[in-house]
Amino acid sequence: MQDYKTEHPFDITLSEEQQMTWDMLRKFAETEMRPQARKAESDGRPSPELLEKIKALDLIPLIVPEAYGGMGLEQDSVSNSLTLEALAYGDLSLAMSVSVPLLTAQIIAEHGSEEQKSQLLPEFAAGSIFHVGLGINNAALSTDPYQSSVLLKESGEDIILNGAKTGIAFAEEANSFLISASNESGECNLYFVSKDQEGIELESKEFMGLKGAPFSQITFTNCKINASQKLGGHNYSIDFQALIDSSRIGMSALALGVCQAVLDYVIPYTNERVAFDEPISNRQSVAFLVADMAIETEALRLMVYKAAALKDLDEDFHKHASLTYRFASHHGMKIGTDGVQLLGGHGFTHEHPVELWYRNLRAIGIFEGGAGV
Amino acid sequence: MIHPLLPNQLQKTQETMRMAAEFILRPISRKYDKAEHEPPLEMEQLNQAAAAQKKETGMGDDSVKSMDLGGRSLWAVISLEQMCWGDVGLFLARPGTGLGNAAIMAVGDKDQKAVWGKRWAAMAITEPGAGSDSKNISTTAVLEGDEWVLNGEKIYVTDGDRCDCVVVWATLNKGMGKTAIRSFIVEKGTPGFTVARLEKKLGIRASDTATLIFDNCRIPRENLLGGKEEIETDINAAKKSFGGAMQTFDNTRPMVAGMAIGLGQAALDMTRALLSEEGYEDNFGGSMHTQTAIQSELEMLEAELEAARLLVYKSAWMMDNKMPNSKEASMGKAKAGRIGNRISLKCVEICSMQGFSEDHLLEKFSRDSKILDIFEGTQQIQQLIVARQVLGKSSSELK
Repeated sequence: MQDYKTEHPFDITLSEEQQMTWDMLRKFAETEMRPQARKAESDGRPSPELLEKIKALDLIPLIVPEAYGGMGLEQDSVSNSLTLEALAYGDLSLAMSVSVPLLTAQIIAEHGSEEQKSQLLPEFAAGSIFHVGLGINNAALSTDPYQSSVLLKESGEDIILNGAKTGIAFAEEANSFLISASNESGECNLYFVSKDQEGIELESKEFMGLKGAPFSQITFTNCKINASQKLGGHNYSIDFQALIDSSRIGMSALALGVCQAVLDYVIPYTNERVAFDEPISNRQSVAFLVADMAIETEALRLMVYKAAALKDLDEDFHKHASLTYRFASHHGMKIGTDGVQLLGGHGFTHEHPVELWYRNLRAIGIFEGGAGV
Repeated sequence: MIHPLLPNQLQKTQETMRMAAEFILRPISRKYDKAEHEPPLEMEQLNQAAAAQKKETGMGDDSVKSMDLGGRSLWAVISLEQMCWGDVGLFLARPGTGLGNAAIMAVGDKDQKAVWGKRWAAMAITEPGAGSDSKNISTTAVLEGDEWVLNGEKIYVTDGDRCDCVVVWATLNKGMGKTAIRSFIVEKGTPGFTVARLEKKLGIRASDTATLIFDNCRIPRENLLGGKEEIETDINAAKKSFGGAMQTFDNTRPMVAGMAIGLGQAALDMTRALLSEEGYEDNFGGSMHTQTAIQSELEMLEAELEAARLLVYKSAWMMDNKMPNSKEASMGKAKAGRIGNRISLKCVEICSMQGFSEDHLLEKFSRDSKILDIFEGTQQIQQLIVARQVLGKSSSELK
């Protein structure tokens, strides 16, 4: 029955360092990101000033190894989850503007070949964040999440790619892409594809949510790349399921930040909004929705912590990551829709952020490869 | 450190208690479900297994070693979660400890703990006219010389027939509301105290649920449990007094929530066992396109159960670390109560005629689970408590 090994007692206390980082990032999310959320939506991207501030957080150089010009600080998964939750409290699109490149840098630092690392990581360390676009989301809707809707055929040193990837953040800014592709025997790996490669077509896409960051689709038509463009070199194999599972914990942490934002918004609103001569929160039908929102948000928080803690212990975290993302998808959307409901007609308009959170929370459970822990 | 995981030693406790549940409780589950009102005779074995675990782990007290492992509340929650994986009804029928014991340990003085601590104590709050609204009880207690005189009727008293004594809630003055409510320890066999009848129930049939009558029942003056003999006129002192009695629930709700989690896990495990005979395998993490309807359903239920479990563990951990946990205890109870019930009913549905059949225990789990969303505070009461705390409301604002 023993599922994992640890001597440490049950505990849910942030370390001093985690608390400091948390306070700093939550404040940044509230004062810098939240007020910019609407503008970023209408511009389709964060303003250059905000991007500079996001870059100045140094979240990416922090994890790039010293050999490639970074600070080489190995972050544990629990701390990464806290970072993601704190940022998403401000705005999900803006949080993903940093969580996607952060995940890309993490993947390259962990799995890249020496050549790939020395080619790409110094740029991350120097503050560039969008030079590699990450393509994990499948364009075909029935593809197994642990497989790719881009299929590859190997012939000698050549690899031929066909299919499409979508939801690629800041693709226009990228020089190259790191995309997942499956071979005929069902092995899924990541491959670097240069932007000027023949056989690829880039197209910008609009989604119902996450409008504060630009997303694109790439279609591959008999796109020929070299075997050396495989992440880690042509003999390397990535544990793609573990990569998706880690990303699912990250996406759940982002969802948690948004859920907390909804909860913190509806509490004062329902306490102040008067109908039938008293605050609407004096009615159980309203108050119980808020209570359930608080219950499920807290539960999601503990699910995220546990999944991340299991990963930190190097234990099998597949099942727990799956359960966590499933929970985040179901209850995140429930909280999103209840958030709008509690504000009634006001919630349906742009006067309040709940309709934005509603649209963004629909991405949870759908997006893969949007954040990592 | 954020580490919502159980240390090795507690996982061993889980294993041991699971085995006890499997080999002591499961074989007699159906027998006592059928033989309602017959006291189970095999339960001493379970008590011995629990006592041995307590000794081996050094848990169940406030010693340093115990706290190193996460404290006794968490230990208790995970132990009874496993016992209730076996059978909730039988667990409740375990001789020796009832909810009254929790009250005596929480608010009793030194002498009361010494006299009554080791006796089996039931808890009598509910009356025909007052359930969740416990401040509205009408059983009365009047001090006459050196004795309290109790009059009234109590219903739904778990262990009410088999216990040694009962903690009875009564009012010193019906017109004074909750400020006048006190609890009293009444020993079995006291003249004027009778067990009127036993309920026939939907589930947890192994556990006795009694109606108690107090007809000029005289008990010693020192049997007043916590609180003052007079009604406090100072409103704050009065509030504190009733609040003190209600605080017992902050300790017991994580336990009852733990029962629901154990039961929910039992239903899921049994469903998987039945399905696997027909070739079923889990497919965690698959998409809607790659999972079957049952794989998807079981994954969601498992996620909900895990969520409830973590909420409950957190509320117990807070208790062990002396943090106020009223909100968290209710969050855990609300989530675990409704999920335990939903899972057990869904599992019957998934297993179709086999689930509905008395050949298996799934139908029994689904009957037993309903009470866990009712007693120790209904789903609605838990939501009310959580809502008041989250929204910062008083009980007169949010009724």
